[in-house]
Order: sequence, then structure tokens, then C-alpha cells
Amino acid sequence: MTTVQTPAAAPTVEPDHVPRARPGALAALRWEVRKLRAQRRARAVLLVSLLAPVVIVVVIHGQSRPPKDTLFGRFATENGFALALLVLGFASQWVLPLLTAIVAGDLFASEDQHGTWKTVLTRSTSRTRLFWAKTITACGFATLVLVVLATSTILSSMLVVGHQPLTGLSGQTIAAGEALRLVAGSWATMLPPTLAFTAVAILLSVWSRNPAVGIAAPVVLGMVMQLVGALGGVEAVRPFLVTTSFESWHGLFTEPAFTSPLVEGLLVSAIWCGVSLTAAFVLLRRRDITGG
Amino acid sequence: MRRIIISILIALTGVVLLGSAVLATGSGSSVTRPRLERSLATTFANLYVEQARILGRHDLTPESLHAEAMCDKHGPDVPDVGPGGDWVCLVGWDDPERPLPPEGYGKFELNVHSNDCYTVSGPSKLTGFLTITDAQGREVTNPVFEFDGCFDPHGDDSPTGVSFPSLLSLTSTSLAPDDQGRVGVQVSCGPGSGGCSGTITARASGQDLGTVPFDVAEQATATLDVPTAVPAGASEMTFEVTTTTTTGMGPAAAVSIVVQNP
Repeated sequence: MTTVQTPAAAPTVEPDHVPRARPGALAALRWEVRKLRAQRRARAVLLVSLLAPVVIVVVIHGQSRPPKDTLFGRFATENGFALALLVLGFASQWVLPLLTAIVAGDLFASEDQHGTWKTVLTRSTSRTRLFWAKTITACGFATLVLVVLATSTILSSMLVVGHQPLTGLSGQTIAAGEALRLVAGSWATMLPPTLAFTAVAILLSVWSRNPAVGIAAPVVLGMVMQLVGALGGVEAVRPFLVTTSFESWHGLFTEPAFTSPLVEGLLVSAIWCGVSLTAAFVLLRRRDITGG
Repeated sequence: MRRIIISILIALTGVVLLGSAVLATGSGSSVTRPRLERSLATTFANLYVEQARILGRHDLTPESLHAEAMCDKHGPDVPDVGPGGDWVCLVGWDDPERPLPPEGYGKFELNVHSNDCYTVSGPSKLTGFLTITDAQGREVTNPVFEFDGCFDPHGDDSPTGVSFPSLLSLTSTSLAPDDQGRVGVQVSCGPGSGGCSGTITARASGQDLGTVPFDVAEQATATLDVPTAVPAGASEMTFEVTTTTTTGMGPAAAVSIVVQNP
């Protein structure tokens, strides 16, 4: 694994900084996407997010007693929009962090697992480009999974249960067309916190160099946040948790609607993303890969 | 190894910093009494009108109902703030066809979650049971038996000024005279503002057994001892409650309780 160096480069300079012809950032991205598409795991995640909602919708629709302990659960067996929102509440508890972490938590650590850092970094691309290629791939995959999950849930619950007018969280009746718009909007609000969990998974993947930690730790972290957020007495910490933005869609269904939690959630998710990605980037830049 | 120790130290520092930030800012709960009172009144009004519509009535609107709520968390000694399953709300409304009892409200039990949403169980005496029969004769879910609602964590937090009197009720189901023939009757004062105070007059077999003053805090119980012995052979006693005009309400008619003779 020798590096092709120009004679001008001093031996003390890091190989990254050596000027040489490299493939563009797009090539690195294309390569990451191609690696992801070849992974059986990624395809399984997409398949699960496509089919699992259908199964869940059919099973819940067949229940004689609705699951009342979750918001909108009491209407879930007789209203398609309520059922789509029930699945949304369930997905945000741990399913979304898990689905995104399966790919994001593995992207960096798998290079450690296979001992391929030296190969990819010395032969083809720089650390910065590789970092962004992997990050964009992970975020793109998270978005794709969310879109598939949302579409599958909304379509199957509307087809199986129907599209009756929905009772909102202020007791008001929401017409079917408006309800569909709000349900789709609610699923869309899952994107910022899901991306925040993606960033956390990337950080853990880079830091631990272990795919198992990269995948499991974000899910555990999500559950801990959920638990802390549900406790009384420590509510001052709630706004800083990523899981709080998973619940910010509630405001869309009241009358008058309130959107301040949505804005706060967007901000908090952006901070979590920024901090996690910066830390991951610094860790990756400073890492000594020659030994691996 | 060093990397792990440093990482753990950084994580611990973060937790400690966050924890102290939380302690410094106080509880800071967004679950407050005014927000809950406003939200519950709106949600209930909408759902009550929906129930009326199911029953085939079209004479009500959420505005005409004039619903207002007074909420309290866990008795008078606990601040009315924060999530919990111990919120009780009294809700009053105007339905010309189904008037409320003399106290003018129904008691709703709430489980309020830290995410600013709540689950309400309504008083089934006033709002009906799990299912109701609609205008076409079908059994459908009663929208006001149990319902969910959410409120804006940054919503209006100024007091609503709604207050309802506490309701004094006699909780003894039977009375057993002691050796001297005296009895004590148990009373409970429900949620409301100011507790219950007034007098209670006991009678048995047409004989006046005396008047006992009472002053019970809201959401508390007390045993009132009747000063005069119950005449032998009396099979039941009647109690008449008179409350002072500002604090509390009693049962409108005299209450009869069976006496268990030894």
C-alpha cells in the first residue's frame, strides 16, 4: 500500500494534502451509493419499511378494541388517518432511529471492520470527500426510508381503514382532505430528528469503529431520551432532546394550530446534527489509519 | 484505553453540565393550570357538540355551550403545575336540554403527560358511557366518555379566573351507634375553591339530634359526631346540609342513611 507521491511533497506532509489527481466528490458519492445498493441489509431495511406498515395496519384494523394508550389510538380501528398517526407515534419511539442507524452506524465502522481505510484513502479519495460522501449517502438513505415508510403507512391505512373525517386534538372535526395534508405533514416533520439520529449514528460509528455500537447505541440513546422526556420534574431538559421533535407534530392537529415546537425541534435537530458531524469529522481527520 | 477514558469523561461532563442547567432553571414545566383549563374547555365543547350531533341534535354550537373549566392538581397543598395522573378538572357548561346538577359542573379526571397532551375521563352520569345510540339506532363510541387533547406549551398562561364551589357529600352508607348510642357520619369535600364549611342537622324518628358545624378542606374527608344519642329503634337518620354561601355546596335534599341497630 504505497502512496503515489510527487517529488515536491515533503515527507512530513500528510498524504491528504499531497496535490494529485483525484476523482471528484461525486465519484466518491457514486461509489458509496453503489456499495450501499449492493448491501443486503440496506435492501432489507427498505423492504421492511415498505411491507411492515401494511401488516401493522391490517393487524390493528382487525383488533376489536382500539389501542387507547397512544394518541389517536382510540380512533385507529375506524379512521385511516388516525391509524397512520398511531403508526407514526410508534415509529418515532425507536423504529426510525433503528432504521437509519442500520446504515449510518455501519458506513464508517465497516471500513474498520474490513480494514479498508488504507485502501480507500490512499488510492482514491481524501478523508474530507469520503466523509461527505458517506454522510450524504446516510442522510439520503434515511430520507428514502422515511418516505417509503410514510407512503406505505398512509396509503395502506387509507385503503384498509378508509378516509373518514378525523377528530383533532382540540375536539374539532378535520375534513378528510385537510386531514390527509396534515398527516403527510406530520410524517414530514420526522425528517429533522431522523437526520439528527443519523448524525449521532455516524459519530458513534466513527468513534467506536464498531458497527454494532454504531447501530445499537443510537437506538438505546433514543430510548433513554424518550424516558427522560417522559419524566416529570426534569422537564427543563425536554427541549434539548431529539426525541421531543418527534412529538412536535401534535400542534398541527389542534385549533388554533401551534408550530413553535416544530421550529424548536428543527433548531435542536440541526444542533445535534452539527455537533455530531463536526465531532465525527474531527475524529476522522485526526485518526491514524496507517495501523488499521 | 486512554481514548475510552477521555470519551467517558467528556460524556460525564456533558451530563453534569446538562443536569446543573436543569437544576438552575427550576422545574420549568409547560403543563400549567391556565393552559389546561383553556384547552380542556375548548376540547370538551367541540366534543360535546359532536356527541349532540350523533344523538340527532343540531341546536348546539361550541360557543353556545359556554364551557369553562377549573383544574387542580393533587389537592390544595400541591402547586397546580406539571404532568401527572392526579389532575382533576371541574367543567361547567350550558345545555338547555340536559341541565347540570345544582353545583353546576361535572368532575373530569385527567392524566396529563409531559408532552403537553392529556387523556380525560368524563363523568359518565353527565356525559354518558363508552357507547351511545345514535339517531339511526346504531351503537357508536361516545366522544366525551374518554378523549385526548393537546395544548400549546407556549400558550396563554394568565389565570382564567374560573372557580367552582366544592361539593360536600355524605359518604357513610350505614351508621352503627356506639355504646352511648352516638353516631359519627363521614363527609367528604370534593375539589373546588375554598373547601366546604357550614352546618349539618341530624334527625331520627322525627327528633332533632342537634346541629354540627363543619369546616373541611377541599379534597378531604372528616367524621362529624352527632351530639345527641340516636333514639332506640330508629331505623334511619336524615341529614340536612346547609353551607355558607361562599364556600362549598351540599346535597340539595336531605340525605337518609340506614342505622344498624345492634
